[in-house]
Amino acid sequence: MSVATQTIQQADSLRSSKNYREAIAAYMDAIRGQELPDADVCVKLARCHLQLGEVSASLKWLMRVVDSAEGFLPWQAAGALLDQIIAKHGINTDCGLPIRRNAKLAVLGSYTTKQLMPMLRLAALREGILLETMEGEYGQYQQELLNPSSELFSFQPQFIMLAVNHRDAGLPAFSRTPDEDVTRAVEHWKMLWDRASSSGARIIQHNFALPVETAMGHLSSRLSGTRHAMLQKLNTALGEAAGNRVSIVDCERIASHIGKSRWFDDKYWHIAKQAVALEALPSLARHSVAVLAADLGLSKKCLVLDLDNTMWGGIIGEDGLAGIRLGQGNPDGEAFMAFQDYVLELKAKGVILAVCSKNNDADAREVFLKHPDMRIKLEDLAMFVANWKTKVENIRTIATTLNIGLDSLVFADDNAAEREIIRQMLPEVEVLTLPKDPAGYVRTLSNYLMFETSAFTSEDAEKTQQYRAKAQIAELEAASGSIEDFYRSLKMTAVVQPFDELHLPRIVQLIGKTNQFNLTTRRHTTESIRAIMADKNCAHFWLKLKDRFADHGLVSLIIGKRDPKQSDVMEIDTWLMSCRVIGRTVEAELLSHLTRAAQKMGCTKIRGVYIPTAKNGMVKDIYSQFGFERDTAASANNSANEEIWLYDLSTKGPISNGFISLEQR
Amino acid sequence: MSTLTRLEDVFRSVLSNDDLALREEMTAANVPGWDSVAHINLMYSIEETFGLQFPGNELAEFKNIGDLVKYVDQHATR
Repeated sequence: MSVATQTIQQADSLRSSKNYREAIAAYMDAIRGQELPDADVCVKLARCHLQLGEVSASLKWLMRVVDSAEGFLPWQAAGALLDQIIAKHGINTDCGLPIRRNAKLAVLGSYTTKQLMPMLRLAALREGILLETMEGEYGQYQQELLNPSSELFSFQPQFIMLAVNHRDAGLPAFSRTPDEDVTRAVEHWKMLWDRASSSGARIIQHNFALPVETAMGHLSSRLSGTRHAMLQKLNTALGEAAGNRVSIVDCERIASHIGKSRWFDDKYWHIAKQAVALEALPSLARHSVAVLAADLGLSKKCLVLDLDNTMWGGIIGEDGLAGIRLGQGNPDGEAFMAFQDYVLELKAKGVILAVCSKNNDADAREVFLKHPDMRIKLEDLAMFVANWKTKVENIRTIATTLNIGLDSLVFADDNAAEREIIRQMLPEVEVLTLPKDPAGYVRTLSNYLMFETSAFTSEDAEKTQQYRAKAQIAELEAASGSIEDFYRSLKMTAVVQPFDELHLPRIVQLIGKTNQFNLTTRRHTTESIRAIMADKNCAHFWLKLKDRFADHGLVSLIIGKRDPKQSDVMEIDTWLMSCRVIGRTVEAELLSHLTRAAQKMGCTKIRGVYIPTAKNGMVKDIYSQFGFERDTAASANNSANEEIWLYDLSTKGPISNGFISLEQR
Repeated sequence: MSTLTRLEDVFRSVLSNDDLALREEMTAANVPGWDSVAHINLMYSIEETFGLQFPGNELAEFKNIGDLVKYVDQHATR
């Protein structure tokens, strides 16, 4: 028996005799030095702390269960404990964990979802999402959707998750008309999606994991009429039909990843109608939450990479260009190259890359400039930081320069000590636990799910270029005589248009993830934006910006709503801008469009609303800069923490901006 | 550690009840929190912890905890 196992047993008996303080000390002793402590021990620590009334410490250990393992036992225990904490103590913003969003989720299942629910709440909390959930009755997913007075609709969910399985696809074992059967199945799901959409919720659909048992054997893959082949086709067709309103959780891929013989457990299907094996539920919960978090705009934005032994093998400062391991002919070298290739795939879908390394700047750059097997080039990086300062300091600089929150960063470093420092000093930063062998880097990175994105827009593919431009512009600004000269030197052009279906995914994406330049932080969904587009009493504009350095794409938007009680007042419902174009007069440009539109609609006043959050302090003075006056009476009357400002359009006229020339599309 | 003590720890963890005391004469009806969902969670957790497989829904057939202890003693591989 190992020393650690003995210590855990001692701790267990201390716990069982209710000596919780001593038990905690013994467990801590057993996991000393473990970067990802054993999930069972994490649960036990959470239980001890809860017994001592230490709720936030208990929650902290529950979150580590999510990181440690995907076993059913620790997840089930952790989920049950979390539910107990929620019931007894409630969870709010001062629970000690960062709460980034609240969300209402309805799960409609065709199988037993009782075990999945607590795991969804657990995995969501790990990403800062406080889930309020509703669970449909077992097997009643269609009835819930088809009955407008069902509990589902009164719950008013933001998300409806359809937890279904291959038995619900309605496909025969063999069909002579497979195309028709698949089309019929797609139509059926689209009909259910229509019903779900009518609640205003976004849909999260679990697609169909294909069972391995097929009587047709290998012939299945040659015959389009087999259920196996039809299910494959159905998954593809559902993905194509999903459009902007449905997110898909690719259960077929998760099941393949963990193994179909683990995903399906016939015994528990027959006893308890568990279509997904208990041991697969933690994976399903984690993936489902990643998709939901992406829909909420909570995906991570930037991957910060170390260099020595992370991007290549060896130490450039000591081994030199010819001595480092990178490229063909050496297993390590090939693994590092494969890792770089995977990182570039992340970049292509919109993840920003930055380097943070303890090195001489020139040594580090030389590898990028001269090594023939370097896949990542300097121009792929939004920032390159190689110096001898602490990584804590450098990561802070990266976040400030790129103007993104520390909680948008993911840090990858082979050095466990560096990882530990970042975890302790910058807890908002997500730290990847890279394995010792670089052959495992790609798997570790792909198992990290918070780079999930809910849409792929042209802005995503261009992102690194835009963030690089930001750094260059900082230099230009320093060289310009006056701020006006600087604005003119940027040669900015913009397209400004009312909201349209084509740009809806980007509009909703921007609404979901903009935190800093965001006056009201109202997280409109696709459905609520469609309602605004259809409302004649609303004015709404998006703005695309180009300058001499980059095409920034759609980066800002504004929504005004006529007050139903005071028809001459237009209220700013939403006004936000991507951080990468702050300080370019974009705000004036959109305000000029809104004030002119308000004038045309016969309004004489604009009412500005500012709802302070932990992140939007940068816009607290914006209304006064544009000549709004604080409506102290209305602000005081307001029950929420909102500030109300008024702009007198009849005497001051529309706001104008002369620094951006408008382009027709 | 005795099988009963190990089982007690599984029950405490699954039912999230650190005050639960398991005795051989107890039946499912007088273990607080043992409902149909907990039944499945307990069954799977006992299988995993002791490295055994209940045939079908055998767990529902035991007369009391003492019976379960006997079964576990006969079949445990861990």
